[in-house]
Amino acid sequence: MRFKVKHVTRYEYPAQVLQAINLGYLIPRNSARQKCIYNQLKVNPQPTTSATRVDYFGNQAFHFTIESEHQSLEVVTTSEVDVSAGVDLPSVNDSNTCMQARELLSSSNQLDSLLAREYILASPSVAHDAALAEFAAPLFADDRPFLQSVSELNSQIFNEFTFDPTFSGISTPISEVFAHRKGVCQDFAHLAIACLRSLGYPARYVSGYLETLPPPGTVKLVGSDATHAWFAVYSPGEGWYEFDPTNNSIPAEQHIITAWGRDYTDVTPLKGVVFGGGSGHSLSVSVDVNRV
Amino acid sequence: MSQLKQRFQQYAAQHSPSDEAISADGSVKPDWRYMLDSLATLGDDELAERQHKAKRILRDDGATYNRYEQNTRSQTWGLDLLPLLISADSWSVIEAGLQERADLFNLIFKDLYGKRELISLGLLPPELVFGNQSFIRACDGLQLPGENQLIIHGVDMLRREDGSMCVCSDRLQAPSGLGYALENRVVMSRVLPSLLRESQVHRLTSFFQVLRQKLISLAPNIASPRIVVLTPGPYSETYFEHAFLANYLGFSLVQSGDLVVGDGFVWMRTLNGLTRVDVIVRRVDELYCDPVELRADSMLGLPGLIQVARAGNVAIANPLGSGFMENPVLYRFLPKISEHFLGRQLRLKSVATWWCGEPDDLQFVLANFTDLVIKPVAPHTSNSANSYTSSNSKMVADLTDRQRAELLSAVKENPHNYVAQEKLLPSYVPTFNQQELVSRPVILRSFSVASEDSSYRVMPGGLTRVGAKQNSTAIANRFGAVSKDTWIIASEPEKHEILSSQLGVNDGYTEGAELPSRVVENLFWMGRYMERAENSLRYIRTLFMQMNGIEQLPTDCKSVLLQAATQLTSTYPGFVNNTPLQNDPDAELLSLILDRDRVGSVTYAVSSLLSCAEQLPGLLSSDSQHIINNIADQIDTLSSRLRGDFLSAPEEPLGSLISNLLALVGIVNESMIRDTGWLFVELGRRLERASQTASLVRALLFTHFDDSQESIILESLGMTVESLISYRRRFGGSLKINSMLELVLMDASNPRSVDYQLKSIVNTIYALPRERRTTELSAQLRFVMEAQSKVQLSKISQLCRTDQDANTRSELDQLCAQIHQLLGEASNAISVEYFTRVQGPLRLLQYSGSTG
Repeated sequence: MRFKVKHVTRYEYPAQVLQAINLGYLIPRNSARQKCIYNQLKVNPQPTTSATRVDYFGNQAFHFTIESEHQSLEVVTTSEVDVSAGVDLPSVNDSNTCMQARELLSSSNQLDSLLAREYILASPSVAHDAALAEFAAPLFADDRPFLQSVSELNSQIFNEFTFDPTFSGISTPISEVFAHRKGVCQDFAHLAIACLRSLGYPARYVSGYLETLPPPGTVKLVGSDATHAWFAVYSPGEGWYEFDPTNNSIPAEQHIITAWGRDYTDVTPLKGVVFGGGSGHSLSVSVDVNRV
Repeated sequence: MSQLKQRFQQYAAQHSPSDEAISADGSVKPDWRYMLDSLATLGDDELAERQHKAKRILRDDGATYNRYEQNTRSQTWGLDLLPLLISADSWSVIEAGLQERADLFNLIFKDLYGKRELISLGLLPPELVFGNQSFIRACDGLQLPGENQLIIHGVDMLRREDGSMCVCSDRLQAPSGLGYALENRVVMSRVLPSLLRESQVHRLTSFFQVLRQKLISLAPNIASPRIVVLTPGPYSETYFEHAFLANYLGFSLVQSGDLVVGDGFVWMRTLNGLTRVDVIVRRVDELYCDPVELRADSMLGLPGLIQVARAGNVAIANPLGSGFMENPVLYRFLPKISEHFLGRQLRLKSVATWWCGEPDDLQFVLANFTDLVIKPVAPHTSNSANSYTSSNSKMVADLTDRQRAELLSAVKENPHNYVAQEKLLPSYVPTFNQQELVSRPVILRSFSVASEDSSYRVMPGGLTRVGAKQNSTAIANRFGAVSKDTWIIASEPEKHEILSSQLGVNDGYTEGAELPSRVVENLFWMGRYMERAENSLRYIRTLFMQMNGIEQLPTDCKSVLLQAATQLTSTYPGFVNNTPLQNDPDAELLSLILDRDRVGSVTYAVSSLLSCAEQLPGLLSSDSQHIINNIADQIDTLSSRLRGDFLSAPEEPLGSLISNLLALVGIVNESMIRDTGWLFVELGRRLERASQTASLVRALLFTHFDDSQESIILESLGMTVESLISYRRRFGGSLKINSMLELVLMDASNPRSVDYQLKSIVNTIYALPRERRTTELSAQLRFVMEAQSKVQLSKISQLCRTDQDANTRSELDQLCAQIHQLLGEASNAISVEYFTRVQGPLRLLQYSGSTG
């Protein structure tokens, strides 16, 4: 499936910004199931310096500075991406059990497996947490198929947690989300990652977009899509598999990946430091995902 | 036989088995004999005198080490006159080991920020790399020009009983100590010059030349690169050394606020605008260096720095990301890593280390728990250069049963988070303790630097520290350790080199154009605070003299004098319209002098002066530093000296503080090069003096009194602005307001008059770099000239005139108020033109997250 994604981020500041130094993860990366065939980044006002590089995780990082006075900043990303569903989960009878997954992780000297161990460790936004381990543990009995267990964790989060965009902010800790059983996609992804890591399994954060379809018979509104987040898990010898706890699904053609990392802080869509600008800026984001 | 010699024989008789100076049979080792004999020849008194001299030089050089966990002023660097001696033969073994070690750490650094073979080949468990927060993913692939990524490598070593050296820590992220080692040598060469010369001690100069050349080579495409030393600032533990090294190497000392990223480069803010920076010698902890990509809460860093480095437009030494190799767990894997990269074992062994995350190691650790030292693997988040020192390591044998059990269960619960190390026994070295000769455990920090030819060069010497007590187990400056010079004794004399106070070309602080604006701003404020402190001191002293006079002051007169104290220092409400306070003024006056937190107090002004001076290392001569130290001492003791019967004789302590402030003004005037920096001190002083004088005139003379009271008030004014003698010489005995005003406001020949100040302000402003760019006068000049013409156009007779229906002098009041205001405007205009940070407050913005 080919999608055209238009992602507009707009900042308005109450006072003049004298300089802004920014880093964005806005360019869809390539992966086994997707290929970015076109990308254009338009920044207004005109950036003083800009550069794109491949970062540690293989993502496309976009650095830019604006060094003339401005009171608004707009970044428009337009991308065309070919997306496919990716490989199916291995059959339940013929895949790692939870115990096998853990054992292989500690004993295997396969490069993939060694490198995946990075994602068992705590990261800036995801700490190990005994309560979360306890929450997820019943699904991960030693003899159960590992990826099947992850899929059930995915469903359990979907079933027990309420999607509530008013509840959490950018720095709401996972423990709060867990206590109130509320949050947004980013929180659910972090929660699942924290559960898995606390049990000793590697999991990473995936940032991207989700195509939404209007209710039958209605027209899709402009800007109605959103940035989205989900997670991926590593099973030794079997590879990385994605899961979307917000939608109780396995990401496929409608999930377009921008970047992945240990957690949100590695792949924040747009962040930066500004000098000036006063306090109380406003931010608006609109995303359109359309089939080409 | 001299007493020292006798004491040394006693020392030798009771020597510990591993003493650096004594052989097993109790005789002095041959390498040490010459030095000890020479010292003994000096005699005890002379030796004490030299030790005293060393202390004085260190203090006047501003050589301090800030213990930041204590809220006290920095302490003077401690140097023992007895050096640590190492023979050239044994040093050559150590040197080769250090070079090899630096090579290895350089290879490890390149691998982990490159191919990461150490992980793929299983030589390092991935968790130990990925779980270390000093493994900075943003630095992946970031490279300096040349083979050597590590520029400075520090190594702490102890000597084992078998005589071999053992490394107990490697310092890689921003190793400290180079500057202190150099300062120790400078002091020794002044205190014991002939001994140093005749002992054939290896010299340090060429080592620093290698470092300097290497740093220059990090900007290969720039003809004469600008190099800065980036310091966290005066509150950093090792600030002295940052300033000292910058000065010695001829680099600029900057704080992050002096730098700005723009147009893809790093720039330094100077009076002449932005100057490009090509190489940064980093003394700020890596995680604090760039709030865009690293710790977002850092105020010490430079937003966008890493991206400039990636583009190759600035080089940072040591590179960001080198700190993770300071983790003690690395030693567990070092032997195999060395085999892999060098094909052999390291000659210089590290302390035996076990990682509890390995089952076999854990078993060993549990079986030998009480004999070991336990350290956490997790890196520190603190901004301390002292990570992994003794504070977070535990010697199990020293713990109580309960602590031991707690530690044991912590290790069992999270074995991956702990390493264990063998307990190292240090060697001992004779050390002076007052006049006594005592035995102290010793640790040596040595340094290697990358050279242009890609090999590492080792400092022939290093920073020796000895424990505060004989049984000290933690030898670190913050535990009261004292340092020693380290002498590598050559077998034959070395070519004589001069250890000058500055190395190489003078591209540091010698030209006004190269001063960061912050430094100039501090010079300006130093000038202002010098004058402000002096003025308020003078007035308060005058006030005491008047109040303690033989005759009691008339009430109205006393009231005006006290209220003027409040007005002069802007410490409202104070005495203003407060009769009870005027009747019992002691507490308020004491507060005006001593209350450090009260803006306007004398102590506040002096403390501000001292903080400005802290920002100016390398710009003030050691004689100036000497006076500044005296002022700091006096401020510390002022409150005790003003207690008790202070009202009867406060003049003495206040007077000696005034003398020191005058001495500082004098030495700044006499010893500072007449460059831009000096102009700003001058400007600050003159502006402050003019507006203080105007304020005082206004406060004292607004109200008209009868002749006898007015004479007391005029006398107070004359005493405060040091014009009483001039007055009497010129106008004779009785004090008249018209003559006094003429002298204090308008007399161009009186160096304390307002007009005199205004003239020199105008001349000084004309000499500043950005003036005369156009024919139009600058804002600051306009304000000062306006004040000047107001003074010159006024008529004394009118200023003295009393208002109708009131006993006040409105015209005088107005003039003084205008002068004060115009000078305030001028000062603001100067700030805007020369100092203002172009940029507003820094703010971190994050996109509000994914919401889908």
